[in-house]
Amino acid sequence: NRLGSPEFSSLAGIMLLEVFLVLGTVIIYFLFSKKKEETLPFKEGWWGKGQKPDTEEDTTIRPFKVETTEEELSDLFRRLDQARFTEPLENSCFHYGINSVYLKKVVSYWKNQFNWKKQVEILNKYPQFKTKIQGIDIHFVHVKPPRLPEGQSAKPLLMVHGWPGSFYEFYKIIPLLTDPASHGLSDEHIFEVICPSIPGYGFSEAPHKKDFDSVSAASVFYELMLRLGFSEFYAQGGDWGWLICTNLAQIAPNHMRGLHLNLVSVTKVGFSQVLSVLLGRCFPGLFGFQEEDVRRMFPFLEKGFYRILMESGYFHIQATKPDTVGCGLNDSPVGLAAYILEKFSSWADVEFQNLEDGGVERKFNLDDLLTNVMIYWVSGCIVSSMRFYKENLKKGIGTQKHEKLTVQVPTGIASFPNEIMHTPQAWAQKKYTNIVSFNFMPRGGHFAALEEPELLAKDILQFVGKVEKE
Amino acid sequence: NTILCFLRSFECSQKNAVLVPVAALGVGGMLVYWLRSRHKIETMEMGNGWWGSGERRLKGKEDESIRPFKIVTSDKEIEDLHRRLDQARYTPHVEGAAFHYGFNSSYLQKVVAYWRNQFDWHKQVEVLNKYPHFHTTIEGIDIHFIHVKPSYVPHGRAVQPLLMVHGWPGSFYEFYKIIPLLTEPARHNLNEGDVVFEVICPSIPGYGFSEAPHQPGFDSVATARIFHKLMNRLGFKEYYLQGGDWGSRVTTNMAQMLPQSVRGLHLNVVFVNKQGFGRLISIMLGAYVPWLVGLSREDARRIYPFMQKNVYDILRESGYLHLQATKPDTAGCGLNDSPVGLAAYILEKFSTWTDKSFLNKDDGGLESKYSLDELLTNVMIYWVTSSIVSSMRYYKENFSKDPNLNAHSSVHVPTGIAAFPQEILHTPRTWAKDVYKNIITYTYMPRGGHFAAFEEPKLLAQDIMQFVRKVEQL
Repeated sequence: NRLGSPEFSSLAGIMLLEVFLVLGTVIIYFLFSKKKEETLPFKEGWWGKGQKPDTEEDTTIRPFKVETTEEELSDLFRRLDQARFTEPLENSCFHYGINSVYLKKVVSYWKNQFNWKKQVEILNKYPQFKTKIQGIDIHFVHVKPPRLPEGQSAKPLLMVHGWPGSFYEFYKIIPLLTDPASHGLSDEHIFEVICPSIPGYGFSEAPHKKDFDSVSAASVFYELMLRLGFSEFYAQGGDWGWLICTNLAQIAPNHMRGLHLNLVSVTKVGFSQVLSVLLGRCFPGLFGFQEEDVRRMFPFLEKGFYRILMESGYFHIQATKPDTVGCGLNDSPVGLAAYILEKFSSWADVEFQNLEDGGVERKFNLDDLLTNVMIYWVSGCIVSSMRFYKENLKKGIGTQKHEKLTVQVPTGIASFPNEIMHTPQAWAQKKYTNIVSFNFMPRGGHFAALEEPELLAKDILQFVGKVEKE
Repeated sequence: NTILCFLRSFECSQKNAVLVPVAALGVGGMLVYWLRSRHKIETMEMGNGWWGSGERRLKGKEDESIRPFKIVTSDKEIEDLHRRLDQARYTPHVEGAAFHYGFNSSYLQKVVAYWRNQFDWHKQVEVLNKYPHFHTTIEGIDIHFIHVKPSYVPHGRAVQPLLMVHGWPGSFYEFYKIIPLLTEPARHNLNEGDVVFEVICPSIPGYGFSEAPHQPGFDSVATARIFHKLMNRLGFKEYYLQGGDWGSRVTTNMAQMLPQSVRGLHLNVVFVNKQGFGRLISIMLGAYVPWLVGLSREDARRIYPFMQKNVYDILRESGYLHLQATKPDTAGCGLNDSPVGLAAYILEKFSTWTDKSFLNKDDGGLESKYSLDELLTNVMIYWVTSSIVSSMRYYKENFSKDPNLNAHSSVHVPTGIAAFPQEILHTPRTWAKDVYKNIITYTYMPRGGHFAAFEEPKLLAQDIMQFVRKVEQL
């Protein structure tokens, strides 16, 4: 009777309602908090030598030209002449790393035909600058379009290189983006391109302090774009450029109109990914895999796991002992060339290791390859370039804040078939929540901008077209 | 009985028609089991190989002469070295780096200054030549070794032949301090019983003055076979083996291959495969109840915290291994061209693998345990022989066949293990028993790291002697 009385039932009703309200709030909060867009905080820093001075930082932008001297060249030739090679094992091709018989041919070309003075002129054809940010000199190329149709404005595009690349990798694609009409491409969108050198690479000063990681680089480049007067821009990257541009999108999503990547790496491995690796070949649809994804990823043991293991020795040693491994490379140009050029073989096509010459010159010409090596040589930056691996990985993989945050900026992904490892859209969209375009490219590998500039440019243009429409 | 029954079965009742096949199966099963268990104790196959360049000349016997050898140098060689040292390009390290990023470039400049101005290679070559060196051709390549006999043998004492094998980035030179303690123990106040040795230290093919193999596939098994042939050629039927680093693997393979020739095996590094669910459980339990899983207190002290010491530390220290096991020709190219780069790469190991805490020192603690003369002599052996690339290929040849470095079969010869505290990986006796079935001695050494013979020759010599004494008494 007591239980059935109206006062009791209304009391119980109220209590139940309260419980439901609380539960409901909790659930709603939980749901919404997952969708809450958290930005990555801008990373302040000071990377100069010694203590930070009290004076205001010099923010001028100074023009810069690459220079060379007779002394520099004769020193290089002396070292090339005295190079000591080791005979390769019989029939080993590129299985043990770069083949020294082929390397000797490269060195002979380097000594006798390669013209560094001419290459320096080529480097200087685009305007370059330096400016001090957070205590170090940042080098960058800034190319404006030669002509703009009526009523159109140039879209700023930041392009970030990786290792063992440099700003030079973009020299073939820049004209396709700043002057598309002259190259048979649609001029609906025209860009002014900014290619900085990551601090510690090429002509950008190396940080003198520890902990300069991708978030630091992204913060420095963010400051650069602001200093150049851009409040909105696009960003493009592969290799380390992928991570730096991603971090930039996480730091300043309101300033970035779009993010285009030719490499996507998954660092936070979740249970669903493991499951998709085990079952994805049999049930691709279940995991959002397309036919091309399956073709590129499986058999996973061979194409994913084993390939990464075989190709990541450099990664492992650079992430732990960069100063040791880089030491000899900064002293022996032949050693430096061997180390760098090997990547232009194995990362262009996995089959190239079965060729006696590593297939290096099938996709690139020696002048371009050696110019890239020379940038590392004349700037003496190989060691600092390797330190970037340690700074990014010393705290562990998958543990950093930026690895846990998503990206909401409109993203375009160009997926090249010969990239070291294929990342399907199903995995990428866990991190990049706003993928506007994802395209399987017909050919090309890791060094997309250098190897297939036209394909990459077209993909960037169609991506930007989609973003601008929305 | 079964056979008789079977023969009589033609007259037996139907009951036997069931019993007979069952019994036959039983006997058959036992036979199979017996055969297979014999297979388990079976030795590793010796096989054969040829490592010279080009086609193997099948006609004519291989030259089996043992030729005396002396290390020589020239002014030209030293001038070339000095020129390269003078033109070395360094990169300033980040502030507060110590040895955490690898070899500290400020300290490296000091080492190179010593190398350029005070290190006397002519003198060191004389030091190297104080022991007799030889060359002999086996399986198509020239094998280098030193052979030191005791100058004085006390009456009635037997001289035990002892083969000592080095590792990477070491060389036969690592044994120079321990050799006199083993060939003339009395002179060094080491009268641990009646043991006197004659010592043979070969260079692994591809290292130092041993010719590098020209064919792919040269691994520790091939090395083991070649060293057996060497000892045989020197007239030894039974001998002792000692090794650390690659030497541990080579001598283990030797014991697996030809146990009847191995009187005893002494190791200062033990590689065992730690996989398996049971092992995982024992590792987890061992942190709390070590005695329950056969771990001593000292074992527990050395292997826990497990993740830190066995996973993170190994990951941090194994970059070189990963690179050399996949792209040795790339990794070694610059090092064969830049002596400074070579020194940095090699000496970093002599710092970190001697004492992990040396990472925190600006000078890597190198000169607290070794002299620059001895460290640079070892580096010079790699430099003057241009053997850094072939030494690295050994990693690829071994790891591509067997990524877990699994022992092919167990080791039954008497084994002695000296467990040094600063060794990169500690292997407790219970785990070593997985492979080494006949452990006679297992000693927790009071101090010392990876380069035991180089760093603590007296401690190691004492342990070898007390092990051999025990084996001889068996």
